[in-house]
Amino acid sequence: MPDRLVRAPYPMTKVFYRPALAQVLRVDQLTQSENLLALRMGTGEPLNHEPGQFVQVSLFGYGEAPISICSSPKGKEGFEICVREVGTVSGAIHDLEPGDWIGIRGPYGRGFPVVELEGKDVLIVAGGIGMAPLRSLVGHIRDNRRRYGRIIVVYGAKNPAAILFKNDLKVWFEDEGIELYVTVDSPDESWTGRSGVVTSIIRDLDLGSSASMNAVVVGPPVMYRFVAMELFRHGLTEDRIIFSLERRFKCGIGKCGHCQVNDLYVCRDGPVFRYSELLGRSEAVEVWAPEEQ
Amino acid sequence: MAPLKQVVSSEGLFDMLREAMKELPVIAPAERKDQPGFHHFARLQQAEDFVPDYVTTTLPPKKAFFQPSETLFTFTTDQPPALELVSDTEHFVLAGVHPCDLAGLDALDLAYSQPPAEVRWPADRGLATVVGIDCMPDDYCFCSSVGTCLTRQGCDLFLTKVDRGYLAEVYTPAGDTMLAKVRTWEPTEADIRDAEQWRERKVERMTAHLEADPAEIADLLEAGGLAHLWKETAERCYSCGSCNTTCPACFCFDMHDEFDLSLKTGIRRRTWDSCQLLEFALVAGRHNFRQEREQRVRHRWHRKFLYLYRRLGRAYCTGCGRCSRACTADINLVDVTNALIAHARKAADHA
Repeated sequence: MPDRLVRAPYPMTKVFYRPALAQVLRVDQLTQSENLLALRMGTGEPLNHEPGQFVQVSLFGYGEAPISICSSPKGKEGFEICVREVGTVSGAIHDLEPGDWIGIRGPYGRGFPVVELEGKDVLIVAGGIGMAPLRSLVGHIRDNRRRYGRIIVVYGAKNPAAILFKNDLKVWFEDEGIELYVTVDSPDESWTGRSGVVTSIIRDLDLGSSASMNAVVVGPPVMYRFVAMELFRHGLTEDRIIFSLERRFKCGIGKCGHCQVNDLYVCRDGPVFRYSELLGRSEAVEVWAPEEQ
Repeated sequence: MAPLKQVVSSEGLFDMLREAMKELPVIAPAERKDQPGFHHFARLQQAEDFVPDYVTTTLPPKKAFFQPSETLFTFTTDQPPALELVSDTEHFVLAGVHPCDLAGLDALDLAYSQPPAEVRWPADRGLATVVGIDCMPDDYCFCSSVGTCLTRQGCDLFLTKVDRGYLAEVYTPAGDTMLAKVRTWEPTEADIRDAEQWRERKVERMTAHLEADPAEIADLLEAGGLAHLWKETAERCYSCGSCNTTCPACFCFDMHDEFDLSLKTGIRRRTWDSCQLLEFALVAGRHNFRQEREQRVRHRWHRKFLYLYRRLGRAYCTGCGRCSRACTADINLVDVTNALIAHARKAADHA
């Protein structure tokens, strides 16, 4: 019998599927394939999101795609999304320029449990573009640093050129409140940092005997199992491991069925789940991946 | 409270539709011109086209509220773009809905109203006056197995064949208004008895049965150990999605944009979708969470009889039999489910 989920406290919002308009304020190229877009709602209202939530981004004529919000809820004008050029829709959104208008629905979904994590130590593990939603969490923690215990960030990228948010990483590196580890799978000659997969970093971490350590993990599907194994070795239990899953949401509100993982709607019940909520749900992270061409 | 009951003659039923058609479009089962002997819910051109004793329709009446393909809004490529919602505003009558299909509409009412609720479905539902009618089963019907035989939810008026016409149960003022346009009689004991006998005969004539109730089916799916049966079924399945597109309780969809030829305006369209299609669970990086056909077959049964049963308290199967009639590989939902039940019981006996 699956345990009942604690659902996000949804207000009785009524969804028409017609997005609100938003304007692109700034575009920063992060890597060859990823851009950071700063957006402002056409109404001038804040988005009022929680770290870990996503928006459905529309580029009219191309379609709509779910993209996680990568800025902290507090502070700056508007909000930011990190867009990787992969499909028709994301490719077109990636190529937007300042002043362009797009559509936004949301924020949707259950974000990271930032309130439950207060007073606790948090190990943040990011793989690839998983850093995007986690940047909103790191930002939130830095905005409220005294509410959290020890903060460790482990970030793995494919190679030095694929590292996202280099400016943020510099700031975090200087921040005494954050223990930051960045590693790349394939270093080049210029790279002087660590190399290897994130699990090798996690293995060597000294987490002490912290019973309050929680891990928040976002990355490609294949990463979750291996990271979980390392976390178990450190004595973490499934209820203290938090994942965020990625699916191709069409509606974003638990109706269209595309994101269903067994009985869960990733868009509505997640995208953030505790590992304990996913146990027994075979479609969560066990993924068939096509063989490399 | 028991509904008000009146008797209307067989000719009176057609008169009632004729009267309604003077004011509103009436959508009701009619014979398909392209496929004689088959029926579909269509806008009646004349009341005589209504077939009160039809067995089933190819597509369920949900299409009156959510068309297989519909426009959500229009957009322009101006900066900023102008968006305009496209929604139906015309009231209509949906007549000749069988109890299983009333259950289908009720299931979708429940699903679409879960927070965050969508607006389109309930708004369109609010435009319709629904007239239900009782039926006799064919070899595919199994409504008595899923408790939808007597569904009256969501109907304004419900008709049951009796010797001297139809016994009409009035559920709402809208149903009363429709019925008030034609001559009716107080029902006699014979009329009430006729209607009861109709319902009894309907159950007696049902040849297809699930060998367990929905609660037991949910439990046995949850218990698992049925992999070889999913595999066997998947070996026959073509993944065509006919089961989903004919299902009154399926509600998945896709959305995409279409440009007008001018490239200055366009529409966002939403279309029915099917979890049996290969691309349904595709995500970024070409990962597919239900790449294997047996995973998709399993998902269909689990969603209908386990996931939504646990989440919303009802099986998302109405016993209408459309999926089995439509299956291009002749996979019968009742046969497969009974095989699952038999296997689970056998496994339990050995345990």
